[in-house]
Amino acid sequence: MSLVFEKTKEVTRTLLPVVTLVMILCFTIVDVETDVIIRFIVGSVMFLIGLSIFLWGVDLAMNPIGENMSHEIATSRSLYKISLLSFFLGFLVTVAEPDLLVLGSQVEAASGGTMSATLIVYIISIGVGVMVSLGVLRLLRDKPLNVFMAMTYGIIFVLTLLVSEEYLAISFDASGATTGALTTPFVLAISLGLSKVKGGKKTEENSFGLVGIMSAGPILAVMLMSILSRQKNIQGDAGEYVVAEGVLEPIINAIPTIFFESVIALLPIALLFFIYNFRKFKLPKDELSGIIKGLAFTLLGLTLFLTAVNSGFLDMGRIIGMKLAKMSHWILIGVGFLIGLIVVLVEPAVHVLGEQIEEVTSGHIPLNLIRMTLSIGVAIAIALSMVRIVVPEVKLWYFIIPGFAIAILLSFISDPIFVGIAYDAGGVASGPMTATFVLAFAQGAASVIDTADVLVDGFGVIAMVAMAPVFSITLLGTVFKHKKVEYPVIEKKEVKTSHLIEEGNIQHDCIMAVVNRGFAEKVVEVARQSGATGATIIRGRGTDEHQKVLLPIINIELQPEKEIVLLITGTHISTPVADSLLCDSQLDQDGEISVFISPTEAMVKPLTTEKNMDDIESET
Amino acid sequence: MIGIDTLFFAVVSRGEANAVLRKAQECGATGGTIFLGEGTVQSKLLELLGLTEIHKEILMISSSYELCDQLHEILSEEFMFYKRNKGMAFSIPFKRWQMQAAGQEQKSSPKDVGFSYFCIMTIVDKGRGKACIKAARAAGAKGGTLIHGRGAGIPTDFYFPLIIEPQKDIVMIISTKDKAPLIRERIFSDLELEKVGNGIIFTLPVSRVSGLFENMSEEGKEVVS
Repeated sequence: MSLVFEKTKEVTRTLLPVVTLVMILCFTIVDVETDVIIRFIVGSVMFLIGLSIFLWGVDLAMNPIGENMSHEIATSRSLYKISLLSFFLGFLVTVAEPDLLVLGSQVEAASGGTMSATLIVYIISIGVGVMVSLGVLRLLRDKPLNVFMAMTYGIIFVLTLLVSEEYLAISFDASGATTGALTTPFVLAISLGLSKVKGGKKTEENSFGLVGIMSAGPILAVMLMSILSRQKNIQGDAGEYVVAEGVLEPIINAIPTIFFESVIALLPIALLFFIYNFRKFKLPKDELSGIIKGLAFTLLGLTLFLTAVNSGFLDMGRIIGMKLAKMSHWILIGVGFLIGLIVVLVEPAVHVLGEQIEEVTSGHIPLNLIRMTLSIGVAIAIALSMVRIVVPEVKLWYFIIPGFAIAILLSFISDPIFVGIAYDAGGVASGPMTATFVLAFAQGAASVIDTADVLVDGFGVIAMVAMAPVFSITLLGTVFKHKKVEYPVIEKKEVKTSHLIEEGNIQHDCIMAVVNRGFAEKVVEVARQSGATGATIIRGRGTDEHQKVLLPIINIELQPEKEIVLLITGTHISTPVADSLLCDSQLDQDGEISVFISPTEAMVKPLTTEKNMDDIESET
Repeated sequence: MIGIDTLFFAVVSRGEANAVLRKAQECGATGGTIFLGEGTVQSKLLELLGLTEIHKEILMISSSYELCDQLHEILSEEFMFYKRNKGMAFSIPFKRWQMQAAGQEQKSSPKDVGFSYFCIMTIVDKGRGKACIKAARAAGAKGGTLIHGRGAGIPTDFYFPLIIEPQKDIVMIISTKDKAPLIRERIFSDLELEKVGNGIIFTLPVSRVSGLFENMSEEGKEVVS
């Protein structure tokens, strides 16, 4: 089966529960007009198609663009250029985000026109640019992420005390708006590319975290703006709400606007890439055509699923919220929990992040475990938000501040790779689904309950959704690190060698060494000392007879991460190379090395020199 | 005492490798190493759309000869390797290197009969793997599996001390003995491997294959080999 079907399957699997839940609600307790139901179903189909195409486009276009751009950033030779380029990237992807402009105009209206929407958009984009640039420097300098984030959130805590609750809610909402469907995959790709270029032992940890850092930018920017401009209170409400009539009409009407917005959102990234490609990368035609196809898919998919979400899901969420709030508070909280449990998995960026986790750790971190933790975290967050809407005495910061504080403390004892994933997940979880469906649900509920404030309580939901994964995944990381149950080492079995093939022109041996992750460089170093020239390293995971690691409670078996080193050596030196690998005590004990040898028929270049960087043994 | 002299490889869809490994462990395998790869699709339409990747997992198990034969039979049955697109398995004679073994080297064994299949491995710079599979197809191969790896890092001093790790594509192609030299020559010349730094190619003998379809008559079907 082709990858695109796989993606469709995956999207269907995550979308189906949402559709089922909504349908059950529609046919049992909530009375919804037929128009809206049909629109929801049409929307779901569009969403399915759109998201599958979009994810495919991201794979095809965003990843290579991100990789090339990050290579460009990392290999510039001046600090000035590195920070400027990364600032520019962060700024450009944010400024074009359509959600942000919507937010800007909301703030403009609420503040009585003292701040223009464009100004707000620029301020937030500058915030993102600065944070991305700091994040890139952090990555290249190898500074630990947990310290960096602790400092950032420390500043945010101090600012929280100075701003009003409305602004607290809006600042987090701004952060949710900037980590949109398009920006997140792009920034993830940049982060992955940078860590690949950077290399070294921390490659895995460094692949995550940039989205988390980026999403702190808008929070800081909006809070500072509020303090500096002495804006405290925001009046106004979300306006009278009218449910759109008709079935296909609202969908068709929405397409052109959303298409236009998607083009604008995609344009800066595409333009920047093409300019750089023209001047610097000069990619071969095949690759370039792949990227262009990918961009087209991205645009098509983005338009489809954003239209679906905006015209199909928005009304549905709002109506369900309103009707449930009228009926019973407990049902509202319960349904909130259920929605949280399933909606976050439909979020496009969650798919992208999941793929990246799989790619980077080559399956070492069970993806389903991350998804489970994410759902449960978000479910609790939305349920608590509903509590907050029902009970006006409960304030937003009761949850936000302790939540982040505990997460930051945990980040110091948690598995480092989880810290990065956790902060990224925070940005990733508050994507288009949350910003439309969940937000509409909360606002619907708030509009019915008299004591609730539509603006504060509505936006507060996004803040909660952004906080929950950070908390739950760092917690998971802590469990991961400290509760691993290791099974005792079984005695090594004696192995006799017997079989070798003889062939006429075998002059080379292929040595394959399997070691624990992080020891590949050591293998290459040792092998070089004994005369081998180069090597190729593959990432993998594996189990062996020595050890089994089980995670408690859920009993998921963890397979330790491995690296496979391929060496091609001349037959006369393969024995010393293999011996030296096995003799190295560090490799033997910590690396748990096993070495395999097979004679091979290699085609080596006739007259190569020792200088050859590639993986050849030149003396034949 | 189990003598380990064969590496058993299984190429299956993403996510299936764990199940295969579990089954193999039931049969007596001690453990395995799994890595991610990409298979190829052969279809004009999908190629036009740029949809030519399938995610695969490759499972590597070290085993004895006897166990390996057993694995071939049991796993092909269980995971239906005999059906198209279900995956495949092959084994390569490898010697597990042990310190004690260094002295008593035995160069030949009674089982040493000619191998009918070969595994052609090509290591090229990232992005050229697809071209390599194209070249192999032109010479009669059915498809290939692409694995992403990296070359050994060369520390370079830019503004920050970076270890630039050249990204590599490793292409694994299984072919019959008679086709192997052809494919090898073709890749060698098409990818200009004679030039320094362009990549290397080497062949490993394959002792047994299950699930490889040699006579693909229909176009548009995915081939993994």
